[in-house]
Amino acid sequence: EDTGDDDNYEFGKGDFTEHACRYCGVSNPACVVRCNVPSCRKWFCNSRGNTSGSHIVNHLVRAKHKEVCLHKDSPLGETILECYNCGCRNVFLLGFISAKTESVVVLLCREPCLSVNALKDMNWDLSQWCPLIDDRCFLQWLVKVPSEQEQLRARQISAQQINKVEELWKSNPDASLEDLEKPGVDDEPQSVVLKYEDAYQYQNVFAPLIKLEADYDKMMKESQSKDNLTIRWDIGLNKKRVAYFVFPKEDNELRLVPGDELRLRYSGDAAHPAWQSVGHVIKLTAQEEVALELRASQGVPADVNHGFSVDFVWKSTSFDRMQGAMKAFAVDETSVSGYIYHHLLGHEVEVQMVRNTLPRRFGAPGLPELNASQVFAVKSVLQKPISLIQGPPGTGKTVTSAAIVYHMAKQGQGQVLVCAPSNVAVDQLAEKISATGLKVVRLCAKSREAVSSPVEHLTLHYQVRHLDTSEKSELHKLQQLKDEQGELSSSDEKKYKALKRATEREISQSADVICCTCVGAGDPRLANFRFRQVLIDESTQATEPECLIPLVLGAKQVVLVGDHCQLGPVIMCKKAARAGLAQSLFERLVLLGVKPIRLQVQYRMHPALSEFPSNSFYEGTLQNGVTINERQSSGIDFPWPVPNRPMFFYVQMGQEEISASGTSYLNRTEAANVEKIVTTFLRSGVVPSQIGVITPYEGQRAYIVNYMSRNGALRQQLYKEIEVASVDSFQGREKDYIILSCVRSNEHQGIGFLNDPRRLNVALTRARYGIVILGNPKVLSKQPLWNSLLTHYKEHECLVEGPLNNLKQSMVQFPKPKKIYN
Amino acid sequence: DDEVHVRQKVAEVDPQEEADFELDLKAVMQESMEQRRQELRGRPTLNMMIPMNVFEGSIKDHHGRVGGDSGDEGDEESGGSKEVQVKVLVKRGNKQQTKQMYIPRDCSLIQSTKQKEAAELEE
Ligand SMILES: [Zn+2]
Ligand SMILES: [Zn+2]
Ligand SMILES: [Zn+2]
Repeated sequence: EDTGDDDNYEFGKGDFTEHACRYCGVSNPACVVRCNVPSCRKWFCNSRGNTSGSHIVNHLVRAKHKEVCLHKDSPLGETILECYNCGCRNVFLLGFISAKTESVVVLLCREPCLSVNALKDMNWDLSQWCPLIDDRCFLQWLVKVPSEQEQLRARQISAQQINKVEELWKSNPDASLEDLEKPGVDDEPQSVVLKYEDAYQYQNVFAPLIKLEADYDKMMKESQSKDNLTIRWDIGLNKKRVAYFVFPKEDNELRLVPGDELRLRYSGDAAHPAWQSVGHVIKLTAQEEVALELRASQGVPADVNHGFSVDFVWKSTSFDRMQGAMKAFAVDETSVSGYIYHHLLGHEVEVQMVRNTLPRRFGAPGLPELNASQVFAVKSVLQKPISLIQGPPGTGKTVTSAAIVYHMAKQGQGQVLVCAPSNVAVDQLAEKISATGLKVVRLCAKSREAVSSPVEHLTLHYQVRHLDTSEKSELHKLQQLKDEQGELSSSDEKKYKALKRATEREISQSADVICCTCVGAGDPRLANFRFRQVLIDESTQATEPECLIPLVLGAKQVVLVGDHCQLGPVIMCKKAARAGLAQSLFERLVLLGVKPIRLQVQYRMHPALSEFPSNSFYEGTLQNGVTINERQSSGIDFPWPVPNRPMFFYVQMGQEEISASGTSYLNRTEAANVEKIVTTFLRSGVVPSQIGVITPYEGQRAYIVNYMSRNGALRQQLYKEIEVASVDSFQGREKDYIILSCVRSNEHQGIGFLNDPRRLNVALTRARYGIVILGNPKVLSKQPLWNSLLTHYKEHECLVEGPLNNLKQSMVQFPKPKKIYN
Repeated sequence: DDEVHVRQKVAEVDPQEEADFELDLKAVMQESMEQRRQELRGRPTLNMMIPMNVFEGSIKDHHGRVGGDSGDEGDEESGGSKEVQVKVLVKRGNKQQTKQMYIPRDCSLIQSTKQKEAAELEE
């Protein structure tokens, strides 16, 4: 089957390491020599590192190898070192002599050639024989010692490691240093640390974690076949077949996203042969319906609707790109600047400023005026090689990021790369940056080209199709032909691909800014691009190796935007999460002492809603950029217990239950009350698009959707338009009114997902005008942060119970908070 | 312009490790010498003529060997110290070849040639 055209490309797997020192990775041709023993042929450098002899001398002594060859790009060219007279190649016997009158030197062996008297008569000065190996190094003018910078950036290998790996080479000549540290199958993986000796150690820690996560992801997705599906057939605008079907989901199970690849199968019947085809998910509806665009239209049993099966086609692309980025980080000195290299590894680096003329004003055309903390952020970021911007909810981090990118692009350092882990965030940023007048190209994964995007006009594939110049007419003709016939003759296909690639390159190169996901930065279409300036939004939601992908394309100036007080990356494999894969690079840099620049004015929440999050998560620094008046819901008649405080905690005592799948929770009482609150909102004049229902549990989410559509007091359609989502999926988004259903209500068990303060922060900061929380205070108050939240609501007379039309302050007792989280 | 100043502890070489290594290195040297002595009993034939073209080429710039910063970009640590240009004579198969290289002026290898040169200049 056709696997697309970028599958053979391996990011970061170039062969720039062939002549790298097998101990430390230094690969400067002037500094390395090859061991010339046929069974060995390994390269080593002439640096001592932390050992008593240089790496090449170490190897020769330990392995008892005695011949070497210089690199073809070294001053002497590819040369086997040997005695000029007798051809002896034992480097331990060789030394230089010079001619008596001329500045000519040759290699001569000590035994026996140096003791031949006749040489003295031949113009050679034998008194000053100068051994090739001196002070346990090769002569430094012959084989250069790597510079201090090169050495610092190399793998820091110890004498013990050298002994071990030399021992290993005796039985397995191709073994690498990584093999020394490979954990056994059942071992816990190494945990992440704060500082790394070098990028090799970094890779040693992260590569196994990424592997664990990839294996888990593969296992989970490939086990998710579903049978007996009912298909609704359609044909897309591009004339391709689209299959619609319902794909139910549960916690911890497969969650489909647009761009995923699925295989649709039909086992055949009397009238139809067995059939299968692969396609990409192009849409997911709120009703859990999946739209799958098939790659090939031939033979589709479009008159059949029942009895289909679907499997997930797992792709290793994103994990491969992370591994590739780590490798590039270690072996390719041009991957990132020296400063960034050492900084990311946690080495102490002398502070460096970026020498750039600062703009006179820090805002950008097409964007709202910046506030003081935003201006401060833009200004400091432009002067530093690495900066962190912390954007608490609603503080305008997209606008700030766009302004930064605008000024970076104007500095003439080449194209700026802008990334985020999620497509949604990339689209938002691309839109804002484009508003400043910069030329933006949004690069999408090939598998997502059919997925609709709010910034379609900025996408590379759209621009390729619509670049309407006459010289491109050939491409357009072929494109049209391909669209109509579904495929091209092989010669036309070749021509089409070449033209397309050329056009893609032309458009990408003429852009000021390239926007893509972090994983997208490893796309082969960017393989020959270099980006000195990189901004990563939502960086606290990416794993470290994911963040590294956009950085290893030549970064000299890096801006990480995010908020480590909100949710981090989702790691499915518990082992990998326990070992620290869930900690973002942003967080580690904070722990290393990089102080994030915090945006301090929030424009989202009613001031009453921002008070608790500001005090609990942001040391009280969050200021309100909106007034109470601007967040007054005029004309909305909703029974808020305190009129100026559009919030309440609605005491619920209903039991939690385990959902049908056995992997999640639901709470019927809370669901019923969610419906009542939604109905009250709708009756008071709020429209469905203003309301969001969020809950930490998938079981409850599905139950609420179902319950409202069956039991809603108003028209069913109204409830269908209301978004019911998990707290996690709502990060980065907002609604006018939020209803939060906590679900957990069991005296004897923990509160699971609710335990994570960052999840509570996200849940509390989604609403603009008002929030209703449903939960059991007796259970929740056991956790200190929830305890102080409940106390906060109680003190403001917003802890209530009873029917909605007659809410009363609750007298429920819970202990005083032990400590306030911060 | 990618200059970076990393403050890092200077790793100390373990004296025991250093002593052990020195011993191993000496052993390899010793072994090599003995091996050679056993291999070659007779006197080696001499094959050490300096090809004439080497002399010819060098006559013109005989006094111009100051070298140093003469376009040697790769070398960062040369600093101010002067270097001397030499020709390294190698054999490729049976063909002789010379390659230019720079040697630190204080290298013992060229002390005698330098003295000679100085003597010549005085004359
Ligand atoms: Zn070897
Ligand atoms: Zn080395
Ligand atoms: Zn010899």
